[in-house]
Amino acid sequence: MEKFVVNIIHRPEMVPEYAEKVTGHGKEEDIGRKSLLTESLDIFKTQQECAHKNGLKTTIQMTYASLFNEEAISLAKAHHEEFGDEIGLTLLGLPCKEFREKYKTKDFCIWMFSMEDKMSIVDDVFGKFHDVFGFYPESTGSYYMDAELTNYIKSKYPSVKCAVATCWEEGPKAYHTCNNSWYTFMDGGPWAPWIPSKQNTHAPAANEEEDSGIVAIPHLSRDLIACYDGNGSNFGTHPQNVLRGMIYDSKTWDYPYLYNLIDQYRSLGKYNNGYAYNMMFVGPGWMNKMGRWEAPYELLKKSYEDGCAYYGKLKKEGRLVDMTMSEFADYYREKKSYTEPECALWRDILYGSDKQLFWYCDPYMRACVNMDQGGAIVDLRPYAAKLEWPVGIGTPHIQDASYPFLIQEKYRAGYFTHYAGEGTVRSAKITYKGEEVDLCQCRTKAHFSQEGKDRILTLDPVDIEFSDLTVKLQTRIIFAEGSGEIKTERRILEMSRPDAEVDINEYMVACYGTTEYTEDMSSIKLSCVGKETVTLDYEYKCREEALEGADEVTAVVPPIKTRVGLRAEGRTKTGYIREGYAFSPMFTLGYTSKLSDKEVFTTWLSLEREN
Amino acid sequence: MAQSGKGKLNFRCPSCFMRDLDIDMFYDKDKKEYYCIRCQYTGTEEDVLAKNELARFRYGAMYKRFTEFE
Repeated sequence: MEKFVVNIIHRPEMVPEYAEKVTGHGKEEDIGRKSLLTESLDIFKTQQECAHKNGLKTTIQMTYASLFNEEAISLAKAHHEEFGDEIGLTLLGLPCKEFREKYKTKDFCIWMFSMEDKMSIVDDVFGKFHDVFGFYPESTGSYYMDAELTNYIKSKYPSVKCAVATCWEEGPKAYHTCNNSWYTFMDGGPWAPWIPSKQNTHAPAANEEEDSGIVAIPHLSRDLIACYDGNGSNFGTHPQNVLRGMIYDSKTWDYPYLYNLIDQYRSLGKYNNGYAYNMMFVGPGWMNKMGRWEAPYELLKKSYEDGCAYYGKLKKEGRLVDMTMSEFADYYREKKSYTEPECALWRDILYGSDKQLFWYCDPYMRACVNMDQGGAIVDLRPYAAKLEWPVGIGTPHIQDASYPFLIQEKYRAGYFTHYAGEGTVRSAKITYKGEEVDLCQCRTKAHFSQEGKDRILTLDPVDIEFSDLTVKLQTRIIFAEGSGEIKTERRILEMSRPDAEVDINEYMVACYGTTEYTEDMSSIKLSCVGKETVTLDYEYKCREEALEGADEVTAVVPPIKTRVGLRAEGRTKTGYIREGYAFSPMFTLGYTSKLSDKEVFTTWLSLEREN
Repeated sequence: MAQSGKGKLNFRCPSCFMRDLDIDMFYDKDKKEYYCIRCQYTGTEEDVLAKNELARFRYGAMYKRFTEFE
């Protein structure tokens, strides 16, 4: 039976994000202002009321500041008793007089502190929580929880089993939207709950040994097309995200998009053995009495009431189960194995394009397949490397918590580039008598199926038209659970001239990084492996090597400890490797072959850790 | 000329919004107009609201309620 689970989380944040900075405009900073504290608590009460009157239980994530507030503490205790709400502890909302006096900093993102400070803050916050409630929490979180932080919390406070651990695709796009003032970068993670590995929060654990001991949930459930392309904070199950994106009728205050978003998440159960998930987590700053952005308070409140009412309606109809975070962690552990992937065949529900993306996430990779580009892989994160990537002051990545990519079509171009060079993408080209068609030019749709451990995407056939030949070609992409491989089959279903033969070039253009800007590629080594091995050490010299009958073509990318390979099976096969150049700092792995009517050419992309 | 402040709401610059930038505008009470400190946009409240409608052009399915997701 399908199960759609929702976590509703509220935090009594005594100094809400935005409130002091935005609505306090024109006043000297004073985070202890009484009016600010009173309003914050009022918003928290309103949020709780919205959930409870719709029959929904919540997880109350106490902030450090709220642990000094008697009313917030009493409310949490009372709601726990009356509604079964869980009392958890968030590492958001650190700013308050007590915190500033002790740590003498305005930093507030737990993952960006030094490890020494992280431990000290965690001990302070957890200790204070214990003093107040007499027990340690079972759930915690922040916008991001780095692996070292999680490992410390789990070792010291083993009761913690669930945490809000990332904001999906909140990286350079969010930074740009905030006029380059939002120094948090956490692209490349899962969009739905997962068990983080001890090595890297974004990369799910492959086994018990790698298990960090918590179940992670994302901060909000986000639109898997809109957030990948635009500002993540406009397209999530945070009703006020939808207002921020102006995705509502300004006259009627209707926002069907919010319900479409929730419903599409509900529909994902069919790709995940009957389970689907949503979370709603709105900080009080977003329900400010002064309004936010163009939305007056009345609209802010209405959107939150409507969001809760919709979840409540689904619950009454038996189509939703509300859980607290710790209840969800127990459910998830029982439901999911380590290697079971999370899959989402996502359609456009906003722009009217009918575009489809398929997202796949397991302990070895996160991949995105774009059906508007013939099934090209347009984003690829090699989780197989389980890259150790400490973040915070004193580490090489103070703010950048993103998991590096090999392919990212938005930051490093995709199929289309200007003037010269190539962008990162995994696709294929078909050539015939000097004409060439890239499958990225062939828009199509996909259908999902599962056979044993294989998750299969079967794409609708596409017609490739040359001047005197039409080829009907079908692509199947197979993700074999636990293998770290993506298998791609290209099958010719029909040719206008059955005796014709076309050339196929299966390729992957890649690089590495976390942002739009190129990294130093000079440590990368490319190889064609077969009866002999041909190698290229990356020197930006635009060189290319090929090997007939190659068993594999590979790239070793030391900065991200990743080895990526391509293998092929067909009537003929020649592997090749291609170095980039300064204007196009990429590398290419590929295979060429011949294809006739009814023939299939199969390739496997594999990801491994390389020390 | 006195300093500018926020208007009655945090109106963002519609021109910047269309390029995925959220910038609160300031209000010049002498000229009765909002202005952006990042780009060159200026406009009355009426103009801001009209341009916000324009910014919604990209949401071709904004008013549609979907029941099928495949």
